[in-house]
Amino acid sequence: MTQQIIALLIIFYFIYQQTSLYKKQALSKNEYYFWLAFWLVASGMILAIHYIDALVLSLGFSASGISVLTELAVAILFYFIFRLRLRIAKLEKDITIIVEKIALEKK
Amino acid sequence: MPSTKLDIALVIPAYNEEKNIKDVLLEVVPLVNEVIVVDDGSRDHTSEIARECGATLLRHVTNRGQGAALRTGTHYAESRGHGLIVHFDADGQFRKEDLPAIIAPLMSGESDIVFGSRFLNHQTKMPFIKKNLIMPLARLVNQALFGIKLTDPQSGYRGFTLGAARQLEWRQDGMAHCTEILALAHKNKLRIKEVPITIIYHEYGQRLSGGFKIIKDLLLGRLLK
Repeated sequence: MTQQIIALLIIFYFIYQQTSLYKKQALSKNEYYFWLAFWLVASGMILAIHYIDALVLSLGFSASGISVLTELAVAILFYFIFRLRLRIAKLEKDITIIVEKIALEKK
Repeated sequence: MPSTKLDIALVIPAYNEEKNIKDVLLEVVPLVNEVIVVDDGSRDHTSEIARECGATLLRHVTNRGQGAALRTGTHYAESRGHGLIVHFDADGQFRKEDLPAIIAPLMSGESDIVFGSRFLNHQTKMPFIKKNLIMPLARLVNQALFGIKLTDPQSGYRGFTLGAARQLEWRQDGMAHCTEILALAHKNKLRIKEVPITIIYHEYGQRLSGGFKIIKDLLLGRLLK
């Protein structure tokens, strides 16, 4: 129970920070709602951790619900890093196109 | 070297090469129609020296890598309508004496693209690890990923016709462009030839870590398509 409360407090802190950024227009509307939904889903999962334990058990996993959630979170993180890497590579390509264009135009 | 100037453009990517580029340019400028130096964001006097030596200068405002610099220079050479385009280097590793061997098969119409190979005449004094580990690995990767069977998959000394240049739209900005150009030449069914060249090693060049970066860039490049 204590762990759940601590986790929820951390999440509420993140939501508060994020809302402040949104109000300062440092975060776009779409991004704000995406992360708000993300944290609300995470809160829901923490509140329903006993149901997740039961679900994980019924699916035949030996790990507890929180372990499965952690592993899932790591997998999602890796996916986001991969997406970020692709996005950076695309930006790099765009920069090169601009640099080439400037080089040829300044000739 | 043929006695008359041929319709050849030499593309030389250069990054902080003020120590070497003058000697290179003094040797090659008289041999070809146009020497195009692409200063890839150097912070030294590479640009000024290139201009003083009579080369055409293109400047990248920031460093983008050898593949990117070669692409800029090649696009410029294409726009100038040069019949043959040769990729050269700025640090004196390539020899002007090998230029006739590179261009002869292109001039005769025998080939569309010619790659210099350090492994055909055994005169290049290559570092041991590079010769016996890095290069065989590079050959293996090129064969496995792209089906390329050439003796020197990482050779940067290459020449091609204007027609071939238009079919070689490589996307790699870094050192992986070598493999990509080879792959594109195969994919577009260009007539490929390897000729022996000798490389003079002043420094080690591409290391094993660089090889892994090339593989990573190639795989990432495939995902971006």
